[in-house]
Amino acid sequence: MSDPVVNVSDPVVKKAPDEAMELALRRIREADAAGKPSDLGGMALDQVVVNMGPQHPSTHGVLRLVVTLDGENVRDVIPVIGYLHRCKEKLAEKRTYYQYIPIVDRTEYVAGINCEWGYVLTVEKLAGIVPPRRAEFIRVIMAELNRIASHLIGIGTFVSDLSPLGTAVLFYMFRDREPVLDLLEEATGARMMFNYFRFGGVRFDLPPGWEQRCRDFLGRLPKLIDEYEKLLDRNAVYLQRTVGKGVVTRQDVVDYSLTGPLARAAGVPFDLRRTRPYSVYPELDFDVCTEQHGDVFDRYRVRMNELRESRKIILQCLDMLPGGPVQVGTLRPPYVITPPPGSAYTAQENPRGEYGTYIVSDGSRYPYRLKFRDPCFVNLQILPKLMRGNRIADAVAISGSMDLVLGGIDR
Amino acid sequence: MTAEIGTIVISMDELAVRLGEAFPGELADIRIQDPDTVIAQVEAAGLKGIARRLHDLPQIAFDSLTLISSVDYKTHFECVYHLYSFAANRYLELHVRVSRAKPVLDTVSDVWPSADWHEREAWDMMGIRFEGHPDPRRILLKDDWIGHPLRKDYVDLIENHPYV
Amino acid sequence: MGVTDDLPTLANLKNNLPPSVADRLRYPKVEQFQQPNVITTTVDLIFNWARSHSIFPFTYGLACCAFEMLTSGFARFDIARFGWEVFRPTPRQSDLMIVAGTVNEKMGPVLKLLYDQMAEPKWVVSMGACATSGGPFYDGYNVVNGVDKIVPVDVYIPGCPPRPEALFDGLLQLQQKIQQMSYVSSNTGAVDLCESKWRAPRAEGGRGVQQCFLEPRE
Repeated sequence: MSDPVVNVSDPVVKKAPDEAMELALRRIREADAAGKPSDLGGMALDQVVVNMGPQHPSTHGVLRLVVTLDGENVRDVIPVIGYLHRCKEKLAEKRTYYQYIPIVDRTEYVAGINCEWGYVLTVEKLAGIVPPRRAEFIRVIMAELNRIASHLIGIGTFVSDLSPLGTAVLFYMFRDREPVLDLLEEATGARMMFNYFRFGGVRFDLPPGWEQRCRDFLGRLPKLIDEYEKLLDRNAVYLQRTVGKGVVTRQDVVDYSLTGPLARAAGVPFDLRRTRPYSVYPELDFDVCTEQHGDVFDRYRVRMNELRESRKIILQCLDMLPGGPVQVGTLRPPYVITPPPGSAYTAQENPRGEYGTYIVSDGSRYPYRLKFRDPCFVNLQILPKLMRGNRIADAVAISGSMDLVLGGIDR
Repeated sequence: MTAEIGTIVISMDELAVRLGEAFPGELADIRIQDPDTVIAQVEAAGLKGIARRLHDLPQIAFDSLTLISSVDYKTHFECVYHLYSFAANRYLELHVRVSRAKPVLDTVSDVWPSADWHEREAWDMMGIRFEGHPDPRRILLKDDWIGHPLRKDYVDLIENHPYV
Repeated sequence: MGVTDDLPTLANLKNNLPPSVADRLRYPKVEQFQQPNVITTTVDLIFNWARSHSIFPFTYGLACCAFEMLTSGFARFDIARFGWEVFRPTPRQSDLMIVAGTVNEKMGPVLKLLYDQMAEPKWVVSMGACATSGGPFYDGYNVVNGVDKIVPVDVYIPGCPPRPEALFDGLLQLQQKIQQMSYVSSNTGAVDLCESKWRAPRAEGGRGVQQCFLEPRE
């Protein structure tokens, strides 16, 4: 199928295979052959296959949706992924455990610290390394700060797709994300790809004065969250576009193994920080934010509430922060560890859900097999089910509310 | 379905014993990994039946599949099914060995719908076929990729790279 | 036939004019200038000023660098002070393609298609280590080591990810490059970009050495 508008002379572009499109067309042909009627009372309608291609302002990354439309109603959605597949699992077999930490950062690039933590947890479990207490608290602080930054992006980009008011909210959220990135940059050295966690602790201690700056920011944060809620929570257009759309039921959560705000908005209190606690979370006091209906609006509410809960967690950690080293004393350059042969799977609560790492080690300096359990990869499977029956305009709202990061889906 | 978490309080030893009793002879080499995972080996032939019965176990039903990993030990493949029980808040890892000559397994996507894309990825990356899968296409690589990259003996062919 | 050749059509007239009349009838067009002069340089100045100070970027944000590109558009690192804040999501309305992120074999044809859909004059900036040369994933089987194997690149911005200030530095260098564009095909040594005649050739079959020099299109 050549594009009649663009003169495609590049043979690679002409030959690029497109099984997803052919699958969509095949399904239409089969449905027609089976004599399924369209919904508009006997009017013969042609179903149109529309390609929300890998480059699209609303898909938030290189996700391709092959949408079969019947007028404005969505009949079927085939998500096509793999446009950002960067061979991370194969690269793991060529890098030592330490050399791989920066690459794990780039898995879910919006929440880099959480991804590092998931990987580091598994290797520490395999190798039997226990980090010191101060390092554990610093890890929690950094992870929760990154959770705040990630939720700001997640909510902001989602509402920005719905309306220009949302783009204003996006501007405010990016403005408020800058202090968080400043704090992280002071402590770790980078704005986005932190490379901060080590097996047995963290790389640097907190700089002097950092705690006070963190408390200042957290003191300002509730007012900022109130500002966003004032703009959105009782906005009639926003409510009309989000309430009742894309409803995830509890049976879906169990069947499709959904995690994160997607599951919590449906009423399932699945939060790995409570159900499978790691680090110092058992000592911290916070609530698991759940809502009842599982629609798009509830997912937004869960993320907003989690902003406040993260703030609570960070304040508690700052109060309870002990002194001491931030890295286990035995690890020194050249930073090569060789965990004993075996396999382990640990999971960590990413802003998007359960981020798990399964490592098989054969006793050498390189992992034998590294497999990521990415929350967005698993959550994306339910997108066709949520979109069927809705309009194409809701498709943007639903896929935005799932907060997909393609770096994790494609690895 | 309420999907409450952790309503059944069960210790790891008791869980291992109950699983051993529910599946006599089929779950081999049951061992416990701290803090909450039971690991067991399963034969490939009986996978489908075990999957259905695990899903329908009374009280501690393992009704959620979080991950299917595929590992290439050089003599054979191994598929690891990571299952989770909402009621008991416990994990179960099933290790299934598959021969390299004929890497075929039964699909479990009708028992646990989340297995759909994991099985596609196992096919894409490791070349393990799942019989009965509703949509066996490549998922991460382009549709005309030759080879299965995560195998240990994978050789990258020039036909895969029009842009060298 | 022979009869039609003698009829006085315009083409016949133009071809059979005496040279003195023909010279006066041929009025000078801007394209006919062989050497740059004050008219062409003034036209160049105005057009280049307009083009370089109001670039419409095409957000081809693929991966992590996309977020630094987005951040550069927002409050603290304001891209609007340079005049480039109109990010168009469609290639048909944009001038500059900022490739931010890793390009892999599945995305390569899409990149080429979108590049072809852009209208002349167009520029490409490869932002980040992945778009420049494959980045930290250079030895992945699915990763194209650098976007210049697919489209011609004007400015490379290193970094992983480059800070917004680094992105601005690269775009300012692109601004200077645009300001050297000339309407006239000249032999003064100015960079001739007016028809975007440059393309990066693909290596022909086999695992040949990748040719790094650009050659003009026929």
